[in-house]
Amino acid sequence: MTRRSFLLGGLAAVAAGGCRGPAANVNPHVVSVWHPWGGTMAPAFRRVCAAFERAHPGFTVRAVFTPNDLSNNQKFFTSVAAGCPPDAIFVDGPQVAEWAERGALEPLDHLVRAAGIGPTDYFTPCWKQCEYAGHVWALTFCADPNFGFVWNKADFEDAGLDPERPPVTIAEMDAMADRLAKWDDGKLKRIGLIPWAEYGSTNSLFTWGWAFGGSFYDERARKVTPDHPGVVKALEWMCSYARKYDITKIAALQAGFGTAEQNPFYVGKLAMTCLHISGIDEIRRYAPRLRYGITYIPYPPGGEPHSSWVGGWCMGIPKGSRNREGAEELLRWMCATNEGTIAVGQASGLFPGYRRSPCFAEVRNRPGVGMLYKILLETRHQRPVMPAQAYYMGALQRAVEAALYGQKTPIQALRDAGTETQAELDFILAGQGRRG
Amino acid sequence: MGKPKHGDIQRANMRNGLAFAAPALVGLLTLTAYPIIAAIYYSFCNYTALKPPVWVGGTNYVRLAHDALFYKSLGNTAFFAVLSVPLGVLVAFFLALLLNMRVPGRTFFRTVFYIPSIVPVVAGSVLWLWLLNPQYGLINYALAGLDSGLRWLDGLLAWAHIRVPLGVGQPGWLADPAWAKPALVLMSTWGVGGWVVIYLAGLQDVPKELYEAAEIDGASAWDRVRHITVPFMSPHIFFTVVMGLIGASQYFSQAWVMTGGTGSPANSTLFYSMYLFQNAFQYFKMGYACAMAWVLFILILLATLLIFKTSARHVYYGEGG
Repeated sequence: MTRRSFLLGGLAAVAAGGCRGPAANVNPHVVSVWHPWGGTMAPAFRRVCAAFERAHPGFTVRAVFTPNDLSNNQKFFTSVAAGCPPDAIFVDGPQVAEWAERGALEPLDHLVRAAGIGPTDYFTPCWKQCEYAGHVWALTFCADPNFGFVWNKADFEDAGLDPERPPVTIAEMDAMADRLAKWDDGKLKRIGLIPWAEYGSTNSLFTWGWAFGGSFYDERARKVTPDHPGVVKALEWMCSYARKYDITKIAALQAGFGTAEQNPFYVGKLAMTCLHISGIDEIRRYAPRLRYGITYIPYPPGGEPHSSWVGGWCMGIPKGSRNREGAEELLRWMCATNEGTIAVGQASGLFPGYRRSPCFAEVRNRPGVGMLYKILLETRHQRPVMPAQAYYMGALQRAVEAALYGQKTPIQALRDAGTETQAELDFILAGQGRRG
Repeated sequence: MGKPKHGDIQRANMRNGLAFAAPALVGLLTLTAYPIIAAIYYSFCNYTALKPPVWVGGTNYVRLAHDALFYKSLGNTAFFAVLSVPLGVLVAFFLALLLNMRVPGRTFFRTVFYIPSIVPVVAGSVLWLWLLNPQYGLINYALAGLDSGLRWLDGLLAWAHIRVPLGVGQPGWLADPAWAKPALVLMSTWGVGGWVVIYLAGLQDVPKELYEAAEIDGASAWDRVRHITVPFMSPHIFFTVVMGLIGASQYFSQAWVMTGGTGSPANSTLFYSMYLFQNAFQYFKMGYACAMAWVLFILILLATLLIFKTSARHVYYGEGG
């Protein structure tokens, strides 16, 4: 080999190394999937993959942890743009429509037809958030009933409240919060509730907005409605806490909050809060002695009783996936079969979105989890299914903060968020000016 | 076999030189020059990265001119730059003067003050999150101590009708929109070790005989610093001001880590680069983000030109320099 051919060969190898070979060379029995399961969920997902491999002899799942936040969007979108995405991808429920509109996902109509699955096989909001512009773009991997409302019984006793009687209405909750707040030398040591701290200010507004009878999106008119009277009332009520307890004092208390064993609810700094389904296992692990109860989210007169919305992860197939067949089988098995959804439920402690899954037979009798299952059965909402979702979430977060810190009135903040988002949405729906 | 000609050797050297420099040149052209030029084109397009860009002329720039968050992020960045650069220069200069003194353990102290510069950004930011914690942080703990000390002094001097100013208080730092940016400015002074090294190098070049002459003429220590050290150090200060300004204009990582990328509370830490990143990777407005990048480039260029223009009056490059 001459020196020149050696160098050229080396360069070619480096260039080819950036991406896998052409589709024809792809091993149909190896399926790559990018997933967001880190921490204690990582071994759980590995168990689900192992169960898939056992059910499909000869198949290998190549699972790569890629946290789904902004950086993963960056990494995932770059991989799609470069033509070498994974075969399957986890996509958060509200991201589905946006990723579909942006051209990052392949429609799953063929899979849905071939597997004979349809809307009635899933909890309604789960199916709705995967459907956009007449196509199905993802299947629900897990359906999170957001949220269970939990209260700390020891804190209730400490404040002279009946530990077995949680609030049912907003007025009851406010009165209890007043008694639960604990001050020391001008500093908050414990607070009853922080209405904007339910998994971020945007998710908080969704939670309370729906409980107050609000609505965030008019699907038919394709209009965002953050200034719906119910949502405005919810934000006004949230601001009442910011005024009553002083937002900077609450923020100072929050600055010491952590996750896992430092979760403020587990350590008694926050007496009432909304709990995600993963919290049940977390409490068992990090705060086994915590005495708490779980119920429906309180609501005001004229609001929505037993209000909740569905969150959770879905699975899709990226545009340019090399092993589409393998990816479809992975999705079908994990999201739409008895065997696969049992594996998901048992390994992760999460609920499958597939409502026919036999795993629910066992779940409904488990303490805590059974209540969350009841909430899931009644859930009516999913976050708006539209392609400016990320922008809308950002705009709502800014609106909540502007109102909490008194920079804008709640109605003004929400109107501004609506105007900005609608402009963005119209722009996207018009094909970014012209379709490329 | 004849001796190679001079021209042949030169040609061979040129060929080999270019071959060895090729990786760097190719990298520079493809990974730096091309993206910069492409960004100009994309700034005039709607581009979401997955679909081909669509030419829209100056629309992105017009939208930018009407974007309230653009101005907010620009204001936040200017606030940070205007406070952090002069403060950093002052602290670094003061430290360099101290570390230049011939005292035992000088090398040890130089190392200690440089260490923060090599702490990874994320680790340093998390550390400062705890230092700045309004309830449990060391900074507010110290301020509370100061407060009670002042209160004690006030009580002690009450008989003489002397009032000690109170109310240093304990700010909410990152929990309070009014204090979030000052908190980040405070944190930025922690990493001035790099500038200290530059100043220390500069201090070695100040002629010793000038100090001796000034001392003989009866100049005080302050006079010597003001009339000898500062003029001789002005090129170094000028360099750090320009680099500091560019760095502050692109301020991103610390604020991203400390506020979770949201610009909380109430957009008070939404810096320009952060908003640019949000547009590019969160909202998929790549063309808009490219326009923002070019506006930032032009603003930094103008600010640097302004500093260069005015530098002739302030910077001393030595006699005939």
